[in-house]
Amino acid sequence: MPVTLSISLISFLIGITVGLPLAFIRVYEKEASFVVDAYEKIFRGIPEIVLLLLFFFGLGPIFPFPFRNPFFVACFVLGLRSGANQSQIYRGAIRGVGDEQMIAGMSIGFSKWRAIWHIMVPQVFNFSTAGLGSEYALLIKDSAYVYAIAVADLMFNATRIAGAPPYDRVTPFIITAVLYIALTFPLAFWLDRWGTKRKKKIGL
Amino acid sequence: MTELVMEAKHVFKSYGKQKIKKGETCDETKLVVDAVRDVSLQIRKSDIKLIFGPSGSGKSTFLRCLAMLEIPDQGQIFLGDQELTKPEVDLNKARAKIGFVFQHIYLFRHLTALGNVELALRQVLKLPKDEARQRALDALKQVRVSDCVNKYPSQMSGGQAQRVGIARAVARNPDIILLDEPTSALDPELTGEVIDTLRELAKGGTTMLIVSHEMPFAREVAEEMIFYDEGKILETGAPSQFFNAPNTDRAKRFMDRIINRTAKE
Repeated sequence: MPVTLSISLISFLIGITVGLPLAFIRVYEKEASFVVDAYEKIFRGIPEIVLLLLFFFGLGPIFPFPFRNPFFVACFVLGLRSGANQSQIYRGAIRGVGDEQMIAGMSIGFSKWRAIWHIMVPQVFNFSTAGLGSEYALLIKDSAYVYAIAVADLMFNATRIAGAPPYDRVTPFIITAVLYIALTFPLAFWLDRWGTKRKKKIGL
Repeated sequence: MTELVMEAKHVFKSYGKQKIKKGETCDETKLVVDAVRDVSLQIRKSDIKLIFGPSGSGKSTFLRCLAMLEIPDQGQIFLGDQELTKPEVDLNKARAKIGFVFQHIYLFRHLTALGNVELALRQVLKLPKDEARQRALDALKQVRVSDCVNKYPSQMSGGQAQRVGIARAVARNPDIILLDEPTSALDPELTGEVIDTLRELAKGGTTMLIVSHEMPFAREVAEEMIFYDEGKILETGAPSQFFNAPNTDRAKRFMDRIINRTAKE
């Protein structure tokens, strides 16, 4: 359980740091937006298990550090893919905040990127809580795949227990299912509450 | 003559598809809207000029060109003796010296009134924290919204919000303030609050270019009124000229209509 939780949290954070700049590049740097498009297409189009195996077995032998470390590969792959998803979430949110806020920011003497940082970024999260909530739930659930590269997460332990005497194939998975729900529910719930409160505050 | 604060020379700006692709013969001129067609204007220190004219005639676009929030297609914009339309000019620095007030206000929704005014002082002028706070509070006091200091835009009335918008524009002591229909989104009562604020700024010698149809206010404070239609300045003159006998028919008809409407109210 701590492994599943930390993989999800770390890759969620990687997702923010990748997704947020990508979204703004996509909206405000028209010339570079094809790079973002390509990135999104690649990471959203390839099944996660394929990405995991590719990075682990493909890059592992070439760059033993850090790609030999399954935990690292798990966070890396999940984080990059979450970045592609989050980029799309933030792009919608940027449109929600509105271009007028950018123009108002420029009118007080900000450059484009400083207006983005001081005015757009703080508001973008208010508009993306619903999307981020489901993205996080997705990360928790999809982290189950990492057992394929032998990261000792929830799923890995469940299969291990189910495969050992007394060969109970059901109970471990029922417990696992309950644990996954316990992991996804609180954060999604909290994000939703926080989002509603913030939106009220800024008058939406 | 007092010093020139801002000048526009032969400014052009149009919207829509301008590039006609090679080999294409269809007439694309209909898609182009000429919002600004060869407009020139001079504003001197402590001038108060008022632009008026029909909706959609390009007044707002012209104002945004002056602030370089939109880049003119042709022509020159000067702020003092600096030409802003040169490609190498740091527009962000120039914009810091121009105050802009929007019709739909556009306060930063995630910040309080104080935060809205303070932001530019802290991040653009780089004032120390205490000084920025003091100047922001002074500006808010000047426009009489001291009671809103810690309120968010969603918690203010339209009139309060617009006065915070004005405070945001004046707090950094810009060379000129451009106001784009600051009262047209407000009801008459709230309009009165904002007009009072502008009147006080006018008394204080603030240089202003205002797009507005508030005629009593115009008569009281404007040195010059500018009638703008179809992307052009059709007539300029003292308010008395417009109120008594405008030179152009178009301006005369427009004035008649405004005065009739105001009389009915």
